[in-house]
Amino acid sequence: MIFMTDFARNCLCLIAFCAFLAGPIAPAEAKQDYKRTVEKYSVPDVTLVNQRGTRVPLRSLLQSETPVMFDFIFTTCTTICPVLSASFTNFQRKMGPESKKIHLVSISIDPENDTPKKMKDYLKRYDGQEGWDFLTGSRSDIDKVIKAFDTNASNKMSHLPIIIIWSPASKSWIRIFGLISTAELIEEYKKAAAK
Amino acid sequence: MLKNNDQWPGLLFAALFMIVFSLMTCSPAVAAPDIKTLNTVAGFSREKALKLGEDIYRRGILPTGEPVRAIVQDDIPVTGTMFTCESCHMRSGLGSIEGSVITLPASGPKLFKPLTAAELNDDLRLAVFKDKTSLSIRRPAYTDETLAIALRHGADPSGRKLNAAMPRYLLEDGDMEILIFYLKNLSASWSPGVTETTMHFATIITDEVNSRDRKSLLGPLEWFVRAKNARADYQRKKTAGRQFVEEMDRAYRLWNLAVWELKGPPETWRSQLEVYYRQEPVFAILGGISTRDWAPIHAFTEEHGIPCIFPVTDLPVISETDWYTLYFSKGLVQEAVAAAQYLEGLPEATPNTPVLQLFGNDPESAVLAQTFRDYRVSQGRAKPIDLVIEAERPLSREAADSILAEHKNPIVLLWSGRSAPATAEIMMRGPQKPKVIFMSSTLLGDAVYALPESIRKSVYLTWPYQLPGEIKKGAFSFMNVWLKPQETALANRTIATKAYFTGNMLVEALMHLKTNFYRDYFLDVISMIKDQTSKIPVYPRLSFGPGQRYASKGCYIVQLSQGPSPELIRRSEWVVH
Repeated sequence: MIFMTDFARNCLCLIAFCAFLAGPIAPAEAKQDYKRTVEKYSVPDVTLVNQRGTRVPLRSLLQSETPVMFDFIFTTCTTICPVLSASFTNFQRKMGPESKKIHLVSISIDPENDTPKKMKDYLKRYDGQEGWDFLTGSRSDIDKVIKAFDTNASNKMSHLPIIIIWSPASKSWIRIFGLISTAELIEEYKKAAAK
Repeated sequence: MLKNNDQWPGLLFAALFMIVFSLMTCSPAVAAPDIKTLNTVAGFSREKALKLGEDIYRRGILPTGEPVRAIVQDDIPVTGTMFTCESCHMRSGLGSIEGSVITLPASGPKLFKPLTAAELNDDLRLAVFKDKTSLSIRRPAYTDETLAIALRHGADPSGRKLNAAMPRYLLEDGDMEILIFYLKNLSASWSPGVTETTMHFATIITDEVNSRDRKSLLGPLEWFVRAKNARADYQRKKTAGRQFVEEMDRAYRLWNLAVWELKGPPETWRSQLEVYYRQEPVFAILGGISTRDWAPIHAFTEEHGIPCIFPVTDLPVISETDWYTLYFSKGLVQEAVAAAQYLEGLPEATPNTPVLQLFGNDPESAVLAQTFRDYRVSQGRAKPIDLVIEAERPLSREAADSILAEHKNPIVLLWSGRSAPATAEIMMRGPQKPKVIFMSSTLLGDAVYALPESIRKSVYLTWPYQLPGEIKKGAFSFMNVWLKPQETALANRTIATKAYFTGNMLVEALMHLKTNFYRDYFLDVISMIKDQTSKIPVYPRLSFGPGQRYASKGCYIVQLSQGPSPELIRRSEWVVH
């Protein structure tokens, strides 16, 4: 220490003090707020399979007057999917009879593993009611969907929390990035459906 | 020595910082409760409390049998039937990272000391600290009281609010005590098979495996061991005399690979395995090979909690819940399911067409037949007509005519090994010939390409590997690292490729493991590895995930092209739903 200049010594002290402070005031692991954007998507012409084994042309979901809310999950997911799915469960509960006016669609990003049976079991675990479907398909078709919706899910272990709402009334797509409370999700749905 | 009084405030700060930093980083023994002094936990014996804690952590079930309840994202009620602590913190409790959500370790040794970068693996370290070399303290050590606050109210000991995805648990005091007790014991000491200098592994070979296949398994595995151990001198010199040694260097161990040879009938394997394990406990079993049912080995690893990664077997144990063996695929079961699924879409499969299974009296054929039958029944279809035949010998003309006279123009599943092409040819000669015939390429082996041209259009094969025509040129050049070019033809390329992949996965997993030598974490880490589409040329894709134990999920249905050098023609997707 005796060979250090005052400036160097004070710098060291400052660095040490900052290091001490850095832990307790570091930002939280993830923000709770979410990002909402209006997007344009071109839905690929693919046919997927739902939890009952029924083939579902993806575009056909958009041809009714029912709004559709998509998320992208897989049945053995660790963190994001359980929260997204619990969010869908609670959405249906809170909306009550009105939940039948919106179609919830979870799309598997792990299609090799997610068979109709596994998806059916998954929906049962989450107490999924009528109006919530889970779709899987061939890897190539799922890749097209992942790309079309820009979900960054080609590597399922680094996928992102995304919910996408299709509003037939306004012919618009609302993209919600981030985990979201039920109150916020209901508000977003109502805003999308009202237009 | 101090010439200027102005220096004092700065030095005082530095000294103060050093004292506080030392207290926060070097006193786990002070912060951690002495769990050995507890005789009962919430009124239960320690053993019972551990079991109850495991039920809460892994299965989301309270001691009352009710599911755990919690709130996530401020207003979403969740229960233990939806997901559990293990879903995010993993079985080892050492956490995970997925997209933008970070799950920090929840094991006792990590919770009850300050959280610093050194406590996290590289992925978590970068995500939390943004800097792998950070010295900052993320949070002080938990106590029982502050941990209960975190679990109930989502605030850590520094007052920082935890991510809203972390459930806020509605736990009674007794349940909380049990859960905290369980966490204190979670990944609390290294798994067996690891010493200060060596990691012990084994591979298992049963005595009916031929020398070529044996060499194909051992060659790559032993090469990885040699490569690892060749670094010993470098590691010693690198760390000699250093006060601070990076965790990666502290994690370095020599590898020891024992070869556990199992002799005699499978019912004697278990006792042989127990002897080997008593003599030298291993951290994990690498690969292994048998042409017989893997079940006795599976049961041994499951009961001892020993990870067994990627054994070479066509007869794995199929289980949705077993944990410790990670297979390449479901083997013959996968092939039978693929055949059954493909059959559903065939125009020949009309409601009145009989479905006939002819299968040999060997375990492999029996597994194919049983699986096909079960799958048909699970889909609400009629059971197939089952007939046992001799696997080694083609069906006689008389026998074939007799069968076809009774079951005219059937769809045939012919699970009978290398004699199947000859049997198929005989069956296809008569007027009541089958509409189509399915066979297993695994049972046929090299005889796949011996299918007579006259019946190729009527024969479908299950093919649980990448198609030869879609494997990139040079994909097997890795074999040259342990075999001379002229020797590569002497090896079974598929087995060697699998063994080489096993070695690669071991290297990758241990790189993430660092000094966290816990078997459960080893499997947790592998489960978080991204899908593999290029590291193993014999499969189109291997995928992983928590609890997933069969990495390859698909199987093609193929036919053979015409001509003297036939090629495989793909007739199905890799995975059919």
